[in-house]
Amino acid sequence: MISKREKVFNYTFLTLLAVGVLFPVLWILGVAVSPDIAGTLDLRHLQWSNFAEAWRQAGFTGYLKSSLVITGTAVTASTVLAVLSGYAFGVLGVVGERVLFPVLLFGIMIPMEAIIVPLYYDFQAQGLTDTYQGIILAHVGMGVSFGAFWMRAAFRAVPPSIGESAQMDGANSWTMLWRVYLPIARPAVLTFVLLSFMWTWNDYFLSLILVSDPSHQPMTLGLGAFSGRYLVHVNLLAAAAVLICLPVVVLYLFFQRQFIRGMLSGAVKG
Amino acid sequence: MATVKDRSSSRTALPDTGAADRDAPSRPGIRLRSPRRRRRLLGLAYLAPALLIYAYVVLLPAGQGLQLSFYHWDGVTSASWAGLANYTGFLTDATLRQAVTHTLFFILFFSVLPIILGLISAALTARKDVRGAGFYRSVIFLPQVLTPAVVAVVWKQIYAPDGPLNSVLTAVGLGGLARGWLGDFTWALPALGLAGTWAAYGLCMVLFVAGTHTIPGELYDAARMDGAGPVREFFTVTLPGLRGQLAVVLTLTLLGAIRVFDIVWLTTKGGPGTSTITPTVVLYQRAFTNPDVGAACAIGVVLALVSLLVSLVVVKLAEGADR
Repeated sequence: MISKREKVFNYTFLTLLAVGVLFPVLWILGVAVSPDIAGTLDLRHLQWSNFAEAWRQAGFTGYLKSSLVITGTAVTASTVLAVLSGYAFGVLGVVGERVLFPVLLFGIMIPMEAIIVPLYYDFQAQGLTDTYQGIILAHVGMGVSFGAFWMRAAFRAVPPSIGESAQMDGANSWTMLWRVYLPIARPAVLTFVLLSFMWTWNDYFLSLILVSDPSHQPMTLGLGAFSGRYLVHVNLLAAAAVLICLPVVVLYLFFQRQFIRGMLSGAVKG
Repeated sequence: MATVKDRSSSRTALPDTGAADRDAPSRPGIRLRSPRRRRRLLGLAYLAPALLIYAYVVLLPAGQGLQLSFYHWDGVTSASWAGLANYTGFLTDATLRQAVTHTLFFILFFSVLPIILGLISAALTARKDVRGAGFYRSVIFLPQVLTPAVVAVVWKQIYAPDGPLNSVLTAVGLGGLARGWLGDFTWALPALGLAGTWAAYGLCMVLFVAGTHTIPGELYDAARMDGAGPVREFFTVTLPGLRGQLAVVLTLTLLGAIRVFDIVWLTTKGGPGTSTITPTVVLYQRAFTNPDVGAACAIGVVLALVSLLVSLVVVKLAEGADR
């Protein structure tokens, strides 16, 4: 139906955009394996040791541990809360739902920047700044709104007849959740886990404010500190940057559909 | 703010507990605890842990922020009443006013430009079998999942005086234009803006392309039959068909533009001078570098109000379009 010329033009346009999008990514990958410390691309002398050297110089072992503790705990807790609250709203119904659900939605709409300052002073008063508990609590609390919203939609999509027949068989709400609803809603849970992982792993702002002690900071802050040093070896900086992105990018390669679907539904975290 | 339709339907789907209780026949005057109400109490129990954490981490600070915004407080000594002084800063404080102007500028780069590019890409691929569409989609969406702190570091290097942008310019004979882009009072802001366009474009394109697949093919056929060219086809068929997607993209990108922080903080820290300062950077500085907590909270409250307003207006527009 469409002319050959139109087709060629379309492909050229799309390819140009794709190249434009990929350029910074490929460039940083190239620099990460180049030997020149000023960051000149040199792909004839690949220097894979940059990754190990960057890891050592940036002190990533400690930051990685913090990132893993924070992300692992926060994602687990967020997922449990999302399932429970989504089940409450989507299946059981909640006393005061007319008020409570809009109140929860409020959390999706207001940006975390709006609450971070009082939160910092609260945490400081409670001794929660510079602790894993504090930053994890903050991540979990700000993920509640989206979690409840997301899992509610997933559970509502389950045909009511399925739940009713389980109830006839005498299943209580807890067994129904585990045996009936969760297995059906597994794809939605997976998407939630992926998004939650990405938001927590990628976070910079929350940690910058709530965690000033380097031994509890995640990798994103480690990168910030590394790039702020007086004498920066650009190739090492690039290698460090690549390493931080890696977990999410690898997950994205495997679960592209889930990432895209989740983020297109308008998913944002506080 | 996800799907608008879902929210409005929730209201109609809410079971009216009162009715169930009233219908309980035999004992007038005694409100039976119907199974439905018991179920809803159980629901509250399931919700309770999430609700408590949410109240402590989100609701409580939101309230405190509102309260603090009416006080002068340095974070240590006792606070003193300020009235609206922290809010009038938006009119009188030069730095803050500049930050607001930059937000408007960023909306152009973070929202308008990616949406236009996304619409063009969607229009070009609509109803045409573009081979390898999946590949383009994954590549173009990639910036969305990259760590913002990393993205900031990457662009900082790209714009560096001896970075690749200047090398390219020199190579094509435009060496005269080469400069340290992020250190330049005029160019730092658009340079950061373009990085934002780069990041947001994928989201817009992928969402719009998905949207074009839901537009009935007959509409295109009818438009062609009427002799519409590609441009008219775009304005009469594609664009109206994408209103829902447009609403989602507008909300996401506008909220993104309002709260820009990571990329500015990690590249220019608002500089040189205050030429790339944003409201969130001012908020951070007021809250932590030289504490004027009330002023920081007032910025937070205004950010929240603007965000709520943007979400609501866009949702209303989309609802209007559905009817």
